Amino acid sequence: MDSSRKQRWQQLQSVFEPGFRRMLLVSFLLHLLLPVLYHTPWFPKKDPVKPPVYRVNLVNKPVKKPQAGRPEAAPVKKKPPKKVVPPKAKPVKPKPIPPKPKPVTVKAKPKPASKPTPRTVSKPEPTSAVSKAQENALQKRLEELRTAQAKKRAEQERKDHLDALRAAVAAESQQVKSPVADAPVGSVTGKGDEIGVDERDYVREFITRQWRLSQYQLATRQLEAVVLLVYSAEGKLRHYRFEEKSGNEIFDSSLLRAILKSKDLGQPLQEQTDFTVIFNLKDMLDRP
Amino acid sequence: MKIVRAILAAAVLYFFYAGSAAAVRIEISAPGEQIIPLAITSLLPMGAVQAGVAEEFQQVLENDLDLSGLFDLVDPEAFLGDAQKLTLHSTQVDFGQWRMLGAEVLIKGGYRFEAGKLTVELRLYDVISRRLLTGRRYIGTLADVRRIAHTFADQILLSLTGESGPFNSRIAYISKRTGRKELYLMDVDGHQRLRLTDHRSIVLNPDFSPTRKELIFTSYDKGNPDLYRKEIYTGRESRLSLKPGLNIGGRYSPDGREVALTLSKDKNSELYLLGTDGTIHRRLTNHYGIDVDPSWSPDGHRIAFVSDRRGNPNIFIVDIHTLEVNRLTYAGKYNATPAWSPKGKRIVFARLEGSEFNLFSIRSDGSDERQLTFGPGSKEHPRWSPDGRFLIYSLDRGGEKSIWIMRADGTGARKISSKGGHDTHPAWSARW
Repeated sequence: MDSSRKQRWQQLQSVFEPGFRRMLLVSFLLHLLLPVLYHTPWFPKKDPVKPPVYRVNLVNKPVKKPQAGRPEAAPVKKKPPKKVVPPKAKPVKPKPIPPKPKPVTVKAKPKPASKPTPRTVSKPEPTSAVSKAQENALQKRLEELRTAQAKKRAEQERKDHLDALRAAVAAESQQVKSPVADAPVGSVTGKGDEIGVDERDYVREFITRQWRLSQYQLATRQLEAVVLLVYSAEGKLRHYRFEEKSGNEIFDSSLLRAILKSKDLGQPLQEQTDFTVIFNLKDMLDRP
Repeated sequence: MKIVRAILAAAVLYFFYAGSAAAVRIEISAPGEQIIPLAITSLLPMGAVQAGVAEEFQQVLENDLDLSGLFDLVDPEAFLGDAQKLTLHSTQVDFGQWRMLGAEVLIKGGYRFEAGKLTVELRLYDVISRRLLTGRRYIGTLADVRRIAHTFADQILLSLTGESGPFNSRIAYISKRTGRKELYLMDVDGHQRLRLTDHRSIVLNPDFSPTRKELIFTSYDKGNPDLYRKEIYTGRESRLSLKPGLNIGGRYSPDGREVALTLSKDKNSELYLLGTDGTIHRRLTNHYGIDVDPSWSPDGHRIAFVSDRRGNPNIFIVDIHTLEVNRLTYAGKYNATPAWSPKGKRIVFARLEGSEFNLFSIRSDGSDERQLTFGPGSKEHPRWSPDGRFLIYSLDRGGEKSIWIMRADGTGARKISSKGGHDTHPAWSARW
């Protein structure tokens, strides 16, 4: 087997031109070089212009622990999910129902043959009116019992079904699987307890709230500036740097004010983080 | 082979490093708040107290800044100790106090009145960056308090927007308070009213020279609607155009060297260009329709006007070099009194809807038409402020005609002319 492979390889080598292996290696290296070059500063990458997305998040305002968003993506230690045991349906002990009484037939007692007097021939004793009424009442009562029991059973079944559904919902909500693949922690598109929003969203919201700029201050809305903000793990601004200025003094100074107001995020981060913040006025472009 | 391995290892390391060191990217596409909290402290006396100075100054300044739409004034009731200190240097100001009140911009100042001379020292501080944005010293008389306040309001807008405000300018208008339509002048806030003409006939349609303190207007003083020119300070008046028929709607070119107007000397209303000596430089339109209400583009190459050449009155634009005419408005049955913005982007005009006019603005290419005014009353004769931030217009409501001012986006409308004036045809001067 090995020898046949070797033979085949030798045949192939004979087909290849001399130096093919070297060419192959060079080609491979050149291909490898491309992604390396792509990640160098010679290839500046600009995010594609995305249309403004309006997300109305009425629940998940930034809170003190934004990392407590979607549980499966949160880096904090997860509590072992509670075992949800669907409640067992209580066995219903059916009460023994007396079997349906057979129609009461009153048989005439045979008279002893020794006294065959026609006078004394006893007629089949007719059921009295009182006993008939008792019988009817009994029947009625039995019917009622049966109906009540059937009703109770149906009620129990409905209850069991509801309990089972509730248990299933609870079990599903405890599942860590998000309906959105790779949804960021605490994002509205993610699934979790929605206690807070993620760190990035929190910082964005925080800085946005500090940024004040009137639409009447600017003659143009086509402005953009990029600022690098370095926050310590304690949430304090260590330093900032304008990577790109907009060229508009009013716009840039409003950013400076926003940065100065964002010196303290008011809560710690998971680690020291560099934020590249792009400030622009895309959402104000359609205003007169 | 060793080299290849080394390269591969380097590449892997590079990718690992690049991935770990990348900063988190955040895009913020609009400011969280679009209004600036401003604290205006009362002017403090730097010598003897002069009654009324601080109050009048405060009232004028607050009114101007409120109209600008830029600011949210911090309630003076909340002011702390620093408001009572005359701190004219940024090092002396307790910015912490102001920041605690939520103020981002702070105005402080003081005045001194000695020997009939009023000196006002004013400062505008950035509370967040703790620095002085602008500081001014104004010297005048007690009669200049309003003017000083308007001028400082302009200065504040210059500091915070990069362009001076229009508050230290004048508004000319036609008023019937004497029983006749005469030409008047007032401040942007409606104060300091001054009558300029005493023709005792009908005066119409004033326009300011962009370069000089003079006005043109139409008057029936001599029986015919002639175009007059009036120097404001000297009061000298002369007839600029007295052709037979109409001499109406005169508008100075942006350089002040020509006047566009409507003449009907040939029995039909056409647009002409006049020199400042009254000679006709050029006929701009030649159509059997009525052409009126010219308004220059700020570059001085085009003129918007009203014509009924297509049936209903609509806005058209004529190129003054090629005389090519293009229609601007198509909607509405009656569009009139166009006014080209000083920035050149938009044209505001009045449109008849039902029985009332409302103001609309449209881009000069005919796109993006927006309605600016709503509600009862007829709004007509719109004119721009010299910086293009505001509009003035006349409102006819309930039998009363008055002058109103609003921001260019239609917000913040307020009446500026006083009651009972029957005021119309406003025109906004250049910066005074």
